[in-house]
This record gives sequence, C-alpha cells and structure tokens, in this order.
Amino acid sequence: MIGNDLVDLHCASIESNWERKGFLDKLFTATEKAHIHSGADPFLQVWKYWTMKEAAYKIYSRMTGIRNFAPPKLCCTPGEHHYGTVLTDGLKFYTCTDTTDNYIHTTAALHSGQLADIRIEIIHYLGEMPAYASKNPACVSHHGQYLALIY
Amino acid sequence: MLNLMLKEDLINRLKTIVSPYAQNKEALDSIHEETDFINDLKINSANLVDVILDVEEAFDIVIDNDAMEKMLTVKASMEVIEAKLSEK
Repeated sequence: MIGNDLVDLHCASIESNWERKGFLDKLFTATEKAHIHSGADPFLQVWKYWTMKEAAYKIYSRMTGIRNFAPPKLCCTPGEHHYGTVLTDGLKFYTCTDTTDNYIHTTAALHSGQLADIRIEIIHYLGEMPAYASKNPACVSHHGQYLALIY
Repeated sequence: MLNLMLKEDLINRLKTIVSPYAQNKEALDSIHEETDFINDLKINSANLVDVILDVEEAFDIVIDNDAMEKMLTVKASMEVIEAKLSEK
C-alpha cells in the first residue's frame, strides 16, 4: 500500500498562514516544531512535514478504516537526504520527499524497499483538473495547479 | 440535546466559519448536520486547522487534540462545541 501528498507552494502561501497563532501547535509535535523553528526555511519545513503526515495518513486510513484529524499523532522523523519516517499508532511509514520551487511532493510506503518502485506522475494544469480515473493510480493528490498520481 | 432553534443557530455559525475554506459552494449552501468538511465541502485538509482555530475564537473555547480528531463533519463539530461550552 502506498500514499502521496502534494502541496502547491504558491497556493499554500496564499491559503494558509503557518505563523497564525495556534497553527503549528494543532499540527505538529514539540520535536517537529523545534525543527521547524531552527531550520533555514520554516515555511518549506512546515509543508514538508505536512505532506509526510498526509501521505502516511492516506495509507493508515485505508489500512485501518479510521478517519480522523490527528496530525500531531503522526510523528515525523527526517532521515538521510529526502527520506524520512512517520510513526503513528505503532505503525511505521517510510517517506520520500521531492521539493521543487513550485511544489513539495511526498510518497509514503509501509516498507522502505517499496519507495524506489513507486512511479510518480505530476501534471501541471490550468483550469479544469484533468481526468485521471482511467490511469488507475494507487493514490492521488491535487493542490493548486498540480495533480500528483502514483502507481 | 440542543433544541431545534439552537441547533440551526449553531449550524449557521459554523457555515459562516467554514465558508472561506469551502470549495464546493453548492454543498455550503445546503449545509446540514451530516455535511462532511472534506468530502462534501471540499475543504483542503490543510485548512481544517484554520476551521478549528476559527471555531475556538468564535466560541471562546479551547479544543484539545482528542476533540479535534473528530471534527470532520458538522455534526461532530457541533457536539464538540456543545461539550466545550458546557464545561465553561
């Protein structure tokens, strides 16, 4: 089982204010918040952790049938390079994050070996979102002007 | 149980709060107890935190993480708000 999440950075800068009082407290653990504040680019780190949590949550939710809004329970640990892990409810998810000037995209898997086998298709679109059902992706994420499909 | 008038009032206040984040305006117009913030209103999951913070401000309550977990629908949010208000 695999999951993904994409954040359009331009959209995120308009739609959300990560510096809003209480924002970080509702989403992140103490360790994550410390890392966000101490880093060179807090904005990027916020959305990197967010995509890690969301990508892992999509697998978790499908596995367990649980739907909730509990981002602080999805604990992110950065690993080497763009890899990381997300722990929740005794489960560990492995993540790989791709950061560009325009978007952040994270893929997640239950086994670290699966990450390399994931095929990623990111479509930049304007206006109507392209139809993708016939492509039969394993997971989909869209935000702003980007559609991310993984297989 | 909230009486009908209070319930409608609460739904209307929630409607005002979620309205800037709801991408499906038709679903927003016909908002009701069973309306789901993500599936029906198409609120971006990253904006759910803004809904929670706005609810805290509007009702002057503190929503702990356990309560926040449930707040994916109008009904669940009404129950959380009602419970937190009664604790005051």
